[in-house]
Amino acid sequence: MSERDTGIPTSVAELPNSEPRYVGRPIDRLEDPALLTGRTQFIDDLVLPRMLHCAILRSPHAHATIVSVDTSEAEKLPGVVAVVTGEDAKRWSNPVMTVPPGWGTHCLATDKARFVGEPVAAVAAVSRYVAEDALELIAVEYEPLPAVADARKALDVGSPLVFEQNGDNVMLRKLFTWGDVDGAFAGATHVVQREFRWNRLGANPLETFGVVSQWDELEGTLTCRGSFQAQHHFAMARAMVFNLPLNKVRFIAHPHGGSFGGKGGARGTDITALLSRKAGGRPVKWIEDRMEYLAGGASQAWDRHYDAAVALDAQGKVLGFRVRLLDDLGATAEGWGAVSAAKPLTSFTGCYAIPAAQYDLTIVATNKLPGSPYRGMGPPPHNWVLEQLMDLAARELALDPAEIRRRNFIPPDAFPYTIASGNEYDSGDYAAALETALAMADYPALRAEQARLRAEGRYLGIGLVNTIEPGVFDWNAYAIVGQPGTGVPEGATVGIDLFGKLTIKVGFALEGQGQYTVAAQVLADWFKVDIADVRVIALDTLAAPPHFGPGGSRLGVAITGAVLGAARRLTDKLVAVAAGLFRTTPEHVELRDGRIGVKGMPEASMPFQEVAQTMLARSDLLPPGVDPNPEATYVWTAPGRTPADDQGRAKSYLTAANACHLVLVEVDVETAQVHIRKYWIADDCGTRLNPANVEGQTQGGVAQGVGAALLEEAVYDEDGQLRTSTFMDYLLPTIYEVPMTEKRALCTPSPFTPLGAKGCGEGAMHTTPAAILCAINDALVPLGLELREVPASPQRLWTLLQQGKAARR
Amino acid sequence: MKPPVFDYAAPVSLAEATDLLVRHEGDAKVLSGGQSLVPLLNMRLARPAILVDLARIPDLDWVRADDETVAIGAMTRQRTVELSREVQARHPLLHAGLQLIAHPQNRNQGTVGGSLAHADPAAELPALALALDATFDAVGPGGARSVAAADFFLTYLTTALAPTEILTAVRFPTLARRTGWSIIEVARRHGDFALAGVVASVGLATDGAIDRARLVLFGVGATPVRAAAAEGLLVGQRAEAAVFARAGARAAGDLEEPLTDVHASADYRRDLARVLVGRALAEAAARARAA
Amino acid sequence: MTVNGERHEADVEPRTTLVDFLRGTLGLTGTHVGCEHGVCGACTVLWNGKAVRSCIMLAVQADGAELKTVEGLADGPTLHPIQRAFLEKHGLQCGFCTPGFMISVYELLSRTSTPTDEEITDTLGGHICRCTGYQSIVEAVHVAVEKMRTK
Repeated sequence: MSERDTGIPTSVAELPNSEPRYVGRPIDRLEDPALLTGRTQFIDDLVLPRMLHCAILRSPHAHATIVSVDTSEAEKLPGVVAVVTGEDAKRWSNPVMTVPPGWGTHCLATDKARFVGEPVAAVAAVSRYVAEDALELIAVEYEPLPAVADARKALDVGSPLVFEQNGDNVMLRKLFTWGDVDGAFAGATHVVQREFRWNRLGANPLETFGVVSQWDELEGTLTCRGSFQAQHHFAMARAMVFNLPLNKVRFIAHPHGGSFGGKGGARGTDITALLSRKAGGRPVKWIEDRMEYLAGGASQAWDRHYDAAVALDAQGKVLGFRVRLLDDLGATAEGWGAVSAAKPLTSFTGCYAIPAAQYDLTIVATNKLPGSPYRGMGPPPHNWVLEQLMDLAARELALDPAEIRRRNFIPPDAFPYTIASGNEYDSGDYAAALETALAMADYPALRAEQARLRAEGRYLGIGLVNTIEPGVFDWNAYAIVGQPGTGVPEGATVGIDLFGKLTIKVGFALEGQGQYTVAAQVLADWFKVDIADVRVIALDTLAAPPHFGPGGSRLGVAITGAVLGAARRLTDKLVAVAAGLFRTTPEHVELRDGRIGVKGMPEASMPFQEVAQTMLARSDLLPPGVDPNPEATYVWTAPGRTPADDQGRAKSYLTAANACHLVLVEVDVETAQVHIRKYWIADDCGTRLNPANVEGQTQGGVAQGVGAALLEEAVYDEDGQLRTSTFMDYLLPTIYEVPMTEKRALCTPSPFTPLGAKGCGEGAMHTTPAAILCAINDALVPLGLELREVPASPQRLWTLLQQGKAARR
Repeated sequence: MKPPVFDYAAPVSLAEATDLLVRHEGDAKVLSGGQSLVPLLNMRLARPAILVDLARIPDLDWVRADDETVAIGAMTRQRTVELSREVQARHPLLHAGLQLIAHPQNRNQGTVGGSLAHADPAAELPALALALDATFDAVGPGGARSVAAADFFLTYLTTALAPTEILTAVRFPTLARRTGWSIIEVARRHGDFALAGVVASVGLATDGAIDRARLVLFGVGATPVRAAAAEGLLVGQRAEAAVFARAGARAAGDLEEPLTDVHASADYRRDLARVLVGRALAEAAARARAA
Repeated sequence: MTVNGERHEADVEPRTTLVDFLRGTLGLTGTHVGCEHGVCGACTVLWNGKAVRSCIMLAVQADGAELKTVEGLADGPTLHPIQRAFLEKHGLQCGFCTPGFMISVYELLSRTSTPTDEEITDTLGGHICRCTGYQSIVEAVHVAVEKMRTK
């Protein structure tokens, strides 16, 4: 099914505008003047009358029975208005829903604490300072329990149990088999198998999570303002937690300072709601501080142990791919981290035509922070495993890494192409991206330079990686971990006011990707107006049409579909009115270049604004029966999605962007440092609605990929104590570590999306870690070493180099 | 992350300041730039009863450089010294070392005296002070005294300053003629505390042999560490790679157990020290030859 | 203290950080809080002409000082050349870290009209941006240099 059926253009040429000025151009962002002058209202900037400030007391133990909580001294501190504990949570709320189900708790620990940083009690006071003073007066008696912080140990019989009632620590175990995997491995001439370890890391937006909650006992309503990435999702979950009808829960998302999937604040939201209720309805603000974020926020994802293999024939054609994953989700499944283990199904075999594959998935609970989503949502480690195996296979077959990829790419004429794990790729030309990157880097010269410097005792490595970025997510991709539903709605309402100006109303707040600008670009070109005549505003959960917001590389495509669909509907209304004015029938009237007129009669037309004015101010002229409101709403969902079968196969993500990253690194084998020397990117995400936005997403993803590959790691000791609780230990990349990249864009439009655009927000994060790690291992080839644990920290690399030295002695 | 309650005093003379320290002995903390102290307050890891801010005391913010010495008032911002053309000209090693301290935004506020009195063993200024035989001037209830760098750094975050004493100035001797220098470090990111670092200076005689050497390691012990035995190995030797490597091995071998933390093990730090000593000596010798 | 040319007098608790004073007491919420321990640079303000981290400075330390925050960059509705440059080069995405970056760039460009690449890196190195990957910020600084030269 194509977007054509909905009247939404699948290419820029189909817009009712002979000279589009905005779509496809690097337009300045409408968001920026307010951001640049400090006027954008982030949640911590909000002050409400009689507002209180919340501070949260957190468990210092990874696993401990809570014997008692004495808040009496804290309550006596001047300035303290309310204190809540697990008892209040039990009285007034339900445990949070989880995916998979049955692995959740209340927002405040009740019977026991399950990870360091778990909320145990909270205070609302006249200032954050006083609230933190009061925390020191709360006496909690803990009885420490043995903790388990290692996923493998959590599987042992006799391991401490995170949820005793569940009998063991296994949250989910499932074997997915697609095609004749056993046959593929049995018939292979080469099998390359390795273990890999990806350690926890996470989103770390510069703004942490924040919320202001207000509980109205009289009305029975809860209103929350905050930095919600998906406000409607938050609202639904709160309705369930507090047994409230959904229409009594109102969520108002504020612009937020980045998210990357990691703007979870469910517990803080629930705790402030409880405090507001206890404080007689006064608004209660909680701004998560950075140490809270790192220890107890949505800051950790992808804690994975892999055992994976590829089977190849003598020509280097991959016949089968097997992945066994032990995924450590931490103490509960509240953070939606489990979907990250499911998402690799959407691009399991990468850019390659691999006929058979298997995924042996175990998700386990430990006494660590519950895992959360992070940009890319799971494939970045998976891609590293696959791409590293491709490199190792190339080495075994004495093929160049580029050549083995060429031999396995899905050919450009095979699209739409259904991969073994069931998702359908819309379009692409993977060899074109590869050859573009090779040419940009002058690959043969690079290999020659590498050989020359090796003779001098310098270790340069080249990483060359091709990946898919599944774009425009759908719930059906996550059916295997217990997430119901097919179709993720994104609505927009487009209206014309009496003075002829346009407004787009959406259900998501600013987050940084520039989607308000994209929405305005699209609408300005539809009606052929100056982009300054379009304003985009966010509505709250009760006012906005059905929406989800940013996530899963979908919003650029989805909001384009929503705006164009609404514009189409609005145009139909204008046409109906104009047909009456022109004394003809609607099928003879059209919008063209900003004017509504009779087809083929340019003199019989008027500016679309005049039609809208007529609707609003001249009811005497309106034909009978027309809707006089120059406003229309459209809710876009991805077309053609299918529910998952018992092996998880579904048409899930709508688009498949692809990229080739080529990176040159140097490993200092004496100090064990990695230096990125150069970086090239060939990237194909279909039509680029705003190329500057896309480039920013790409470069930003590279930076996060550098962090993942080299710097970022949430470290727990064996007792479950977090050792990286500040930005001095959890290391984000700075300008010194992030390479300035050379980028080239290719364009294979999607046949299935509005204007041919594909999701593009996560591609670099999918690719960069694999590229850098493959490059490091390329550098280590002469030493006979392989680094198979990330991040490639100097300590880890040094240990490996020492092992190499010892082995050579 | 909000500081606990404390009192605050901004004395306008050293006498008033030391009085306050005497009165609140043990419960007072001196505030200079605050780049180390205020984060600890925010985390409630430091809980002084009173902060004694030195900012209002006159005559603690100055840089005087001549051929022999760069003298710096304790409250002088690190960035002021770094940007001083006098310092750049007369003490390139000090200038280079200052540029390795965190970031300009920290050096704009952080003071020279504050960093030295805080005495983080992974910090650059204490290592520079030890390598250069700096002299510390302090004032206390008993009057003024001077302390040599070799006697100043006692252990982790601990100096020879009494809790009632205030550092007022530090004097860094300049390097002699035909002396080359180097300060290098390995940190996780530029501006982070060093996993290991080395300050080296090498003097060459007219025949090209090493006639003076100074090696101080940082980030690898409870204080900056002078590698005296390795220095001894160098003097009289030719300035060449094999000699530097021997010195590196000796310096690393002589270290007491370095710190193990989340970024680096003791063994890795020790090995880094070995490598960095060799590299620093090579760089210093090259500078000495060019001098 | 004087902030963006306006004099302010207030009694504060000694423990109040400068950023909490600017945001909470004066309502200048354009300066943001990212880590509260002096690493990320989001809270950077100009203190007597120098870029400093206002989360690890106490308000009392700024007694009598001259401060500039992001609110003091634009001239009414006219953006400062640094702001224009960030706008034109897409030097921001979520924009949360941006005020801090611009203040440091402001300090750099008030010291030199011809910064070297090393000076630019040194200036930006004290700030973390989680969105842009820095490339467009570097480009914005170059454009800002150009704009201020031709101003």
